[in-house]
Amino acid sequence: MRALRRTWNRLLGTLFGRRREAELARELEAHIQMQAEDNQRLGMAPAAARRAAVLKFGGVEAAKESCREQRGLPQLDLLLRDLRYGLRQLRRSAGLTVVVVLTLALGIGANTAVFSAMNAVLLRYLPLPEPRRLVYLNSTVQYGSQTGDGDSSLTEYLFEQLRTQRRVFADLVAFAPLGSDKVGVRYGKEPEEAFVDMVSGDFFSGLGVRSALGRQFTLEDEHSHAHLAVLSDIWWKRRLGGDPAVIGRPLYIKGVPFTIAGVAAAGFTGVEHGRVSEIWIPLQSDPYLKPWGTAAQGSESLYGSALSWWCLKTMGRLAPGVSEKQALAELGPVFQRAALAGVGELGPKQERARLYFTSARGIDGLRDDFERPLRVLAVMVGLVLAIACANVAMLLLARSAARQRELSLRMALGGSRARLFRQLFTESMLLVLGGGALGWLFGLWATRALAAWTRLSVSLAPDRSVLIFTAAVSLLTALVFGLAPWRSVVRAPIGLALQASAATAFQDRAKLRSGQLVVALQVALCLALLVGAGLLLQTLRNLEAIDLGIRTPGLLVFGLAPQQRVRSDAGAVRFYQALIARLRILPGVEAATLMQHRVGTGWSWNASARLDGAKDGHLPMRWNAVGADYFRVLGTPVLHGRDFTEADAAASPKVVIVDQVFAERYLPAVDPLGHQVAVPWAKTSPYVIVGVAANSKYTGVRDDNRKPTAYFPYEQVGGLETMNVELRTAGKPAALLPAVRRLMAGFAPELPLLQPMTQEEQFGQSFSLERVMARLSVFFALLAALLVATGLYGTLAYKVSRRTAEVGVRMALGAQRRQVLWLVLRGSLAVSLAGALIGLPLAAAGARLLRATLYGVAPGDPWSFAAALAGLALVAVAASLIPARRAASVDPMAALRCD
Amino acid sequence: MTEKRDVWQGTLALMVLKTLDALGPQHGYGIARRIEQISDDLLAINHGTLYPVLLKLEQEGAIAAHWAASENNRKAKFYTLTKAGRRQLDSAARDWQQTTEIIARFLAAGGEAR
Repeated sequence: MRALRRTWNRLLGTLFGRRREAELARELEAHIQMQAEDNQRLGMAPAAARRAAVLKFGGVEAAKESCREQRGLPQLDLLLRDLRYGLRQLRRSAGLTVVVVLTLALGIGANTAVFSAMNAVLLRYLPLPEPRRLVYLNSTVQYGSQTGDGDSSLTEYLFEQLRTQRRVFADLVAFAPLGSDKVGVRYGKEPEEAFVDMVSGDFFSGLGVRSALGRQFTLEDEHSHAHLAVLSDIWWKRRLGGDPAVIGRPLYIKGVPFTIAGVAAAGFTGVEHGRVSEIWIPLQSDPYLKPWGTAAQGSESLYGSALSWWCLKTMGRLAPGVSEKQALAELGPVFQRAALAGVGELGPKQERARLYFTSARGIDGLRDDFERPLRVLAVMVGLVLAIACANVAMLLLARSAARQRELSLRMALGGSRARLFRQLFTESMLLVLGGGALGWLFGLWATRALAAWTRLSVSLAPDRSVLIFTAAVSLLTALVFGLAPWRSVVRAPIGLALQASAATAFQDRAKLRSGQLVVALQVALCLALLVGAGLLLQTLRNLEAIDLGIRTPGLLVFGLAPQQRVRSDAGAVRFYQALIARLRILPGVEAATLMQHRVGTGWSWNASARLDGAKDGHLPMRWNAVGADYFRVLGTPVLHGRDFTEADAAASPKVVIVDQVFAERYLPAVDPLGHQVAVPWAKTSPYVIVGVAANSKYTGVRDDNRKPTAYFPYEQVGGLETMNVELRTAGKPAALLPAVRRLMAGFAPELPLLQPMTQEEQFGQSFSLERVMARLSVFFALLAALLVATGLYGTLAYKVSRRTAEVGVRMALGAQRRQVLWLVLRGSLAVSLAGALIGLPLAAAGARLLRATLYGVAPGDPWSFAAALAGLALVAVAASLIPARRAASVDPMAALRCD
Repeated sequence: MTEKRDVWQGTLALMVLKTLDALGPQHGYGIARRIEQISDDLLAINHGTLYPVLLKLEQEGAIAAHWAASENNRKAKFYTLTKAGRRQLDSAARDWQQTTEIIARFLAAGGEAR
């Protein structure tokens, strides 16, 4: 306690030392005078009295010094002094300081952002208790019908069988989205969209998710298919204002009334990171609430066809002490039996379903999509960090050489090695701290930008460990190179350094060469980045310029899911006919049509067809159900025959329009019109081909148009759960949206517009990743070029300033301006050229890494390489020219006279 | 003739505290004089060595300081014993007593037992 108090007072003493010093002097003076007065009273002469008093006191300065030592904290004093001195030094070379700090900040920030994204997508576990024991269940084969994401689908029966395996699973939960995208929900009056999942009763308790409010589901809720809803904390706060009174209130999901039962713990957004679940309901049996938005009229249902409909996703928590291998071995026989329950015996050639696990790590669904691009990005930022560190190293080295004399002088005056070390250490720390702080801010911003671009926002935050790692790398660089002058001063004889003037300062050959090597490597890395950026930019340009076969400008698209209102296909047809009739007369709308499956989403509907009464021979095709005038509205020419009209109704003769690929592949060398197409869903009469349309992109921009496609009138297909309305306008499509919303509010107020956007945006989404990659790579390449330029400029400017006297001598002896210019430029250009030579194979290797991402451009594209080389040359010349010109404009007399 | 003795570290602080306890508020010179008087001038202290001790005691909160006029109307810094200082004095005095008693017993014990 006493010691603490004393330390505190000493700390104060450090800060207010000057005032105390004066006070002490007065106090001591008073002491001596009092003693002198007493001495005089004893009969001494005034001068003798004072002298005796001072003698008695015994060293005023020694006492003061002793007090001074006690007053402050010497270590802290020293640190403050170092800091003050360091800041002054850094301010003296302000330009260099700013460049170093910014370089560090950019390097640290960019790396933090990209590695944070990578960490979230590839490495991080779900934020649930004991995530290492959580596994997703997958089956290599699905018998019967399957809906969902590939192998992750199991049947309801399989789930029931597996969840009883208590020795293997502590918990096994099932979940499935209510629609393949958001579905319509309504609280109060305003309809809107939300991601809704249906889940097994033990979903929350099994995963270990706590409840923030109200209650969660029970197994009883699952068995009774209770109409209860649990909200995510985010949705509850954003949409309902975090009002606790909503518990017990009604919430309409796809028009079906539910009761809000509770709110899940903050931060829980489901077990699929890429998809943010907002509302959970127990597994349902209502045909209008089938998983994945499956049609109510279809034969598939969660409980009715439980044996053969593979539609549920599952996640298990392994029991303690059970390894994945043991679990799979134990579950094998149960799984085989249950999987086969729906199909009976397998044929000899049919593949047997096998259970396998995937770990609950990273962003499940997004892993495949983002892994490769993120790795490419990681390489790019890694290169940028390397360039940044090299830059910092060179700038510090250049400065250190200039400080050699100062340090030698201080050594000569008795400065200890430890003190000089501390001093340089403090300066390096200041640089890194500045760069780190700025880098953290930049990283925050960049992470947010990256999250917005990749639309992963929920689980993306700047990663602390990444930041610490990058900061540590920078720190190491700054320390190694910041302390360089110390090492050389300690080693070099003091006299030599002091004798050398600025003009004749010894040029350490080895140091010079290593500096040039660093520059050459920087140039090489920069070239690789520039080539990569060029390739990705061309890819983006190619994707943007692709002919879609659809005139996308002027098209607005939105979805509707009116099943609660229409209840039947006939009702749906009446609903859409009335809606289209109204939309057509809306001001600004030129034409309107319908399509069941929205084009440009990345998905397509696929089926197999038979031609002209053939009994077998399944011809694979993609298909869509569309409204009247479809091809006219979308701007796809009908090459032969006719477009759909209002007359192609449910009761009319069945018709189909095929695309060119279909006609050329399945009906070559004949007139396709009049031929018959039989499809699985219509057992009765086949469809007659009435037109051939030009090819158009279905899944997205990168659709290769090699798959035959057929279009059917929606009234003749049925299963009209969800339809998309396509509007053509002469003006801006987005400007039409408010009027459409107003119309819908009068026409069907309970229906939200599903994903309204322009058709251009919809197609744009299919290459958003490529766009992000192109932008980021251009950004990184420019950053690298900027860093190389500053590095080149910095080192060259420094070298020129050291060679001023030499240049002066040369000019005095008759060297021309041009010769001097060349003298300086030559060195820099040679280094750049060497860098480019190293960089070419590096760039070629990098381009091969990009191959899968490129579109319409070869990895060895000569234009990209030429442009990168030209850009690099420009950077090198621009960065060297300024110092070179300065050298050339040296006044020989002034140069010779100085020092 | 007896030799003058140096004060050893730690005891000076105790003497300062005791002086302030006995005399009340006192300036540095007064404290130094008092210590010399009590020890019958057997203790020779450089008055300068007193000040680091005073600073340390002040930093620890055992004494407090204020500026006031001295007997001769000179402005001087006066030190006062604080409550914490009195506690420190008591415990230090007790410790000192104990130590001297133990040492005294050792010195009196002689060399008979082995």
